[in-house]
Amino acid sequence: MRLPGKASVYREELEEISPADFFYRNKALAGFDNPVKATYTIIRELVENALDACEEARRLPEVSIVLNKVEEKDKSIDIDSEVPTELYSLSVRDNGTGLSAEEIPRAFGQVLVSSKYKLMQSRGTFGLGGTMALLYGQITTNMPFEITSSTGSKIHKITMKIDIQANKPVVLREQTLGVSIEPFTEVKLHFRGNYPRARSKVIDYLRQTAMITPYANIEFREPDGSLYIFERNVRELPPLPKESLPHPKGIDLELLQRMLKGTKTRRLVSFLETEFQKVGRKTALEILRRANLDPALKPKELTSEQISALFRAITNYDRFLPPDPSILSPLGEKLFMAGIKKELKPEFVWAVKRPPSSVWGHPFLVETAIAYGGDINPTGKVQLYRFANRIPLLYDASSDVSYLVAKRINWDVYGIKSLEEEPIALFVHVVSTKIPFKTVGKEFMANEPVLAKEIELGWRECGRKLKAYLSGKNRVKRAISRYIAFKRYYEVIASSLEELTGKRPAVDELLRKLAPTVEEGGEARDESQEA
Amino acid sequence: MSHKRLEIERKILQIASKINQDIEQGKFPKLEFPPNSASNIAFDESVGYLFKPTYYTRVDGGHIKSVKTLAGLLYGMSRVVDHLKSGLTMTKRDFYYMHKVERLKNTLCPKDQTETDSRIVQMELILGMPREAFSIISDPRGWIYGDIELVDASGYTIKADRIGEMGYSVPPDPENIEFKKIGVKAVVAIEKVGPAKNMIELKIPEEYGLGIAILKGQPSRSMRRFLRMLSEQGVPIGILTDLSPWSIRIAATVIYNSISSAHIPGLAVPNAAFLGIETKDVEEGFFKDYQFALEDLTPLDIKAAKDNLKLPSLQGEFWQRENQWFLKRKKKAELEIFKAMSPSAKRLKELFVEYLREKLEERLGVSI
Repeated sequence: MRLPGKASVYREELEEISPADFFYRNKALAGFDNPVKATYTIIRELVENALDACEEARRLPEVSIVLNKVEEKDKSIDIDSEVPTELYSLSVRDNGTGLSAEEIPRAFGQVLVSSKYKLMQSRGTFGLGGTMALLYGQITTNMPFEITSSTGSKIHKITMKIDIQANKPVVLREQTLGVSIEPFTEVKLHFRGNYPRARSKVIDYLRQTAMITPYANIEFREPDGSLYIFERNVRELPPLPKESLPHPKGIDLELLQRMLKGTKTRRLVSFLETEFQKVGRKTALEILRRANLDPALKPKELTSEQISALFRAITNYDRFLPPDPSILSPLGEKLFMAGIKKELKPEFVWAVKRPPSSVWGHPFLVETAIAYGGDINPTGKVQLYRFANRIPLLYDASSDVSYLVAKRINWDVYGIKSLEEEPIALFVHVVSTKIPFKTVGKEFMANEPVLAKEIELGWRECGRKLKAYLSGKNRVKRAISRYIAFKRYYEVIASSLEELTGKRPAVDELLRKLAPTVEEGGEARDESQEA
Repeated sequence: MSHKRLEIERKILQIASKINQDIEQGKFPKLEFPPNSASNIAFDESVGYLFKPTYYTRVDGGHIKSVKTLAGLLYGMSRVVDHLKSGLTMTKRDFYYMHKVERLKNTLCPKDQTETDSRIVQMELILGMPREAFSIISDPRGWIYGDIELVDASGYTIKADRIGEMGYSVPPDPENIEFKKIGVKAVVAIEKVGPAKNMIELKIPEEYGLGIAILKGQPSRSMRRFLRMLSEQGVPIGILTDLSPWSIRIAATVIYNSISSAHIPGLAVPNAAFLGIETKDVEEGFFKDYQFALEDLTPLDIKAAKDNLKLPSLQGEFWQRENQWFLKRKKKAELEIFKAMSPSAKRLKELFVEYLREKLEERLGVSI
């Protein structure tokens, strides 16, 4: 990772630092601000890593997480925090392809920065995956971590550390532990954190993860031995996201500079054509004409003025086709509904996948859902579940664009008097090569009009289904209460006739004719006949 | 009397048995009756309002909206038969309370009395009889004073000028009254108690052979029935009211019956004559010098006058002319105007007699 703003006058006072070192100095950026948040983030990063591994291997994920508290004789290690901490050991196991003994150190012992500028819809919030979690564990405990893995034959266990300054793996011990036909990877580390205070977030996170990955089995054992099992209810994986070139509208000046440095092309015109999507020869020449640059210039030799001119020309050009959405991997309505049904058992659920659109030069696609009744109870608050690239967003819900949309829709139209007081939950899943997060914390999405509109249209479509469902439900209610009314009036009729004629007519035959049909909720018939 | 009672019981039993049969056969019971809606009511100047059923309502036990009506009618009939059998009467209010019972809490328990009142009308329509016949009575209102002898349900012979200062209180169901002797030349039905009582106090009935019927406002059904019975005995009936938009309705109700009770036969007295006060009396006749004693119409009075424009019973030329006068003059004359003309009791008697003599002669050909 390159550091911005290095002025040459200070060069001798500044030292080059490794990406690992950079992270170490900027923990808060990556969600490790304090031991509580760090506990949550570590689990989260490793779980996402594990799910990614399984999906890339096209296997139905089996993820098991075990968190243990480690008793300490001597609490000498102190990290700079006011929150009390405990020593924990965490192990996360997945059934992905597994890694060979040679691959393991590089995959886990180094903070990697890709040199290719390809885009892909990915879970990882920060693109650095589990390595940061391992790094955090090492920093807070000074203990090594263990990676155990099999690609379907021998099981290798590697005990290692990261050399932070050098950004290099240090293998301490390598063992072979028999054979496993089933490939797997298990990461085990120690860290200092505070689980009791992170607990509710962790459980929420896992439950919502289970909701958005209904094809995964997730198991979590808490330090006190409690076991959470989130079982899959579908056996179908969503398609794998594909890589794509950046769209010209989706880059910044920094990225453009790096792309110019790294390209293999020799002419500026072919750089534009080769390194971007939606740029052909004609468009490339037009941009260069506007930037007043010679198409034959060597990309690596552009001056910073020329780079700025090129960037301005790209920014001002507004005739690019929108970014290619076919690389996105939405969950799909069926899986989305399955996940919601699994975790909330609603009496009604409907999901809608919106057509793709784009924001900030990146394609995006919105999936929305509404669930009603069942295990959902009114809470006095809007029950909003947000997901971005298949991970749940748990913080800052009320700042999120979807919250604003939820509040601006007149739900009365769909038979809902109050979102807060009725058993209704709203869901939104945004997939994109770059989720339009508002802040570095990456917990809430920006109020971009295109995005807001897509969410609104999605919910409105779900709302129409909900309305139809609710009115059908009322129809059933009406049919039943109609039958009960008949029963009561015929009781009066029968007893009056008995008094008048001395003979009570048998009204059962008539009542049978009046009983609600099965479509009208006929099961109530037997109920009320028993009564 | 018991003959009538048996007839009603038989009718109700017939209806109940038919419904019983339908239910036993697995058919939804149905009841049909002609509603007392405008389309079933005609008006004829010579007989008053007439119930001429051309259109029938169906109460269908297979329909949620009418199953309540059906249950209500049958329950109502069961209460009626119960009361008839034990010779007990009930008021509309009683009938209302008989629905406020535990076992009807989820069915017939009424929100207010209008619900049960309209059920009573439906029973009248189905049974073709006034509610009085099936023991649902109103509080009695109306008296008759004069040389009339009759026997009523009590079994006693009553002389209507020997029974107290107001005369005989006409009972809720006068149907069974039997006249023994009628010594009056005519009966004058008077809207207000005050002037009527004065006439009795001034011995006008005794001295001039008149009967005085006290209506006390809009005449009750029993009073109208009683007047009709007198009329059928050949007694000329005159009606004396205020001159106001309401009072011409009172007169018309006595003569023609009313829309709301059009389905009850025998309430109109088509031979009865309106004696006044009429506009002619105020403009050029008896009270022409006392126009200063007229009262202003209130906004409600004016509204009543406007409504009178559409009332079938007031479409006759005479009534419309009278009514137009209210709308034009915005005035009314009350019977108390006699007191404005005669602060002394002697003069009052002269004026009453003078007025009645003139009108009875003119309208009924009766000389006093």
